[in-house]
Amino acid sequence: MSPELESLSKSCQPFIPTIIAFCCNWCSYGAADLAGVNRTKYPTNLRIVRVMCSGMVHADMVINSLLKGADGVMVLGCHMGDCHYINGNEKAARRAEVIQEMLPDYGLEAQRFRIEWISAAEGGKFAQTAQEMTDLITKLGPNPFKKKGEEPDAC
Amino acid sequence: MPVRVLEEWFAGCGGCEVAILDMGEVLLDVLPELEFVYIPVLADSKFFGQDGNGKEMDYPHADVALISGSVRTKENWEAAKQIRARSKVLIALGSCAAFGGISALANLSTNREIYDAYYGASNNNDQAEIPELTTEEMLNKVYALNEVVEVDLILPGCSPTPASIAKAITALLKGEEFKLSEKSVCDTCPLERKSKWGLETKRPLASAQFTPGDYNKTRCLAEQGILCLGPVTRAGCAERLDGEAEVPGCIRAFMPCRGCWGPVHTYTTPMSNMLGALASIGADTSSIPDKKALFNRYIGAHGNLNNCGKG
Ligand code: SF4
Ligand code: SF4
Ligand code: SF4
Repeated sequence: MSPELESLSKSCQPFIPTIIAFCCNWCSYGAADLAGVNRTKYPTNLRIVRVMCSGMVHADMVINSLLKGADGVMVLGCHMGDCHYINGNEKAARRAEVIQEMLPDYGLEAQRFRIEWISAAEGGKFAQTAQEMTDLITKLGPNPFKKKGEEPDAC
Repeated sequence: MPVRVLEEWFAGCGGCEVAILDMGEVLLDVLPELEFVYIPVLADSKFFGQDGNGKEMDYPHADVALISGSVRTKENWEAAKQIRARSKVLIALGSCAAFGGISALANLSTNREIYDAYYGASNNNDQAEIPELTTEEMLNKVYALNEVVEVDLILPGCSPTPASIAKAITALLKGEEFKLSEKSVCDTCPLERKSKWGLETKRPLASAQFTPGDYNKTRCLAEQGILCLGPVTRAGCAERLDGEAEVPGCIRAFMPCRGCWGPVHTYTTPMSNMLGALASIGADTSSIPDKKALFNRYIGAHGNLNNCGKG
């Protein structure tokens, strides 16, 4: 786990999940902005990573975040048909399927990943999605990969 | 003064040691500069029992230590710690030591299941009794060397090529830096590429269409619909001792790459890399059988393979 994530997870007692949200520049990042401007309340444990398009968030980035100890990952993009780059979100949607298929293989719950379409006008939906994801992950508990590196026990 | 070299094998097959010997004349060239202080593949040595009179594990001090095989038993674990403490440079030799390798496929099962399968729980036999004390104590799973101790260099490959071992050893002797390639197997593959991948995947062992001996006229195996791990595997297996770039190991026999050199970068996982890429070009990934073991065949340590939920 990166030192940043570690300190985050340590300072958070009781368990407050660390959630990475990849937001596309054109819609969902706008929505996050709007939520802020409107002073809508939403959980502070969200770590927003601005990307140009949800279609550029490779499955690798999601899996890597989880393997390094993030408790949940969201990819937030524009609604279908609204992609600034024509079909980036369609790619993201197809990737989301394989990501969810892969997570159990890593011993992680499929719900730790979520994809959602949020337009720049939907500040409320952004806050609601963040809240829902936080509640869900809090229920699931910490990412098991956080505990890595202990002495092994013989069995 | 010759460089003191220690070589030890853990849970591996010995293929990596054969790769060292396969260096041939290069090995003869560097041999005067090396002093092997411990190398069970060439010279038997025992700490206790038979001719060893010691009471405890006692590895000699060395300048360079090479370890092949994964960390599977408690003894491996302690040996790794001692060798690390007593050597200046520690090299993980081969994919078993670097990423868990073939032996880490055991991480898909619990130790109990392994014992049960091994001691004969088949349809025709009665379950044999599992011996209590005859085997070494196994760890809860298979570890790569760098999960246990700090490793200075990995030489991936199953087995690594004699060329990469030779390069690493000569670089060390000269005090130069040795770096693994950051390209993928595809970058070193001469097969002809014309279009996107075949979107339907054939059975992994279906034979490819090929022109014997003419690599440039044979279509890329992935384009033929045979899942090839070339794009997500580190390049290096194409390198020959004489320095001439050859054809990647498996492609030479018109077989798809199975990923023995491990991920191109240590921060990627071949499974997410490959499935993500396939999904973005619209391929149907549901037809790929047993993805978990297929993409992690050589890299089962580091949490890539697990026996989730089986305890
Ligand atoms: S990496 Fe391959 S050749 Fe080396 S010990 Fe492991 S299984 Fe054998
Ligand atoms: S055959 Fe495999 S290694 Fe060669 S170019 Fe095609 S995918 Fe890459
Ligand atoms: S082609 Fe792939 S599996 Fe075959 S030797 Fe090279 S890296 Fe290993």
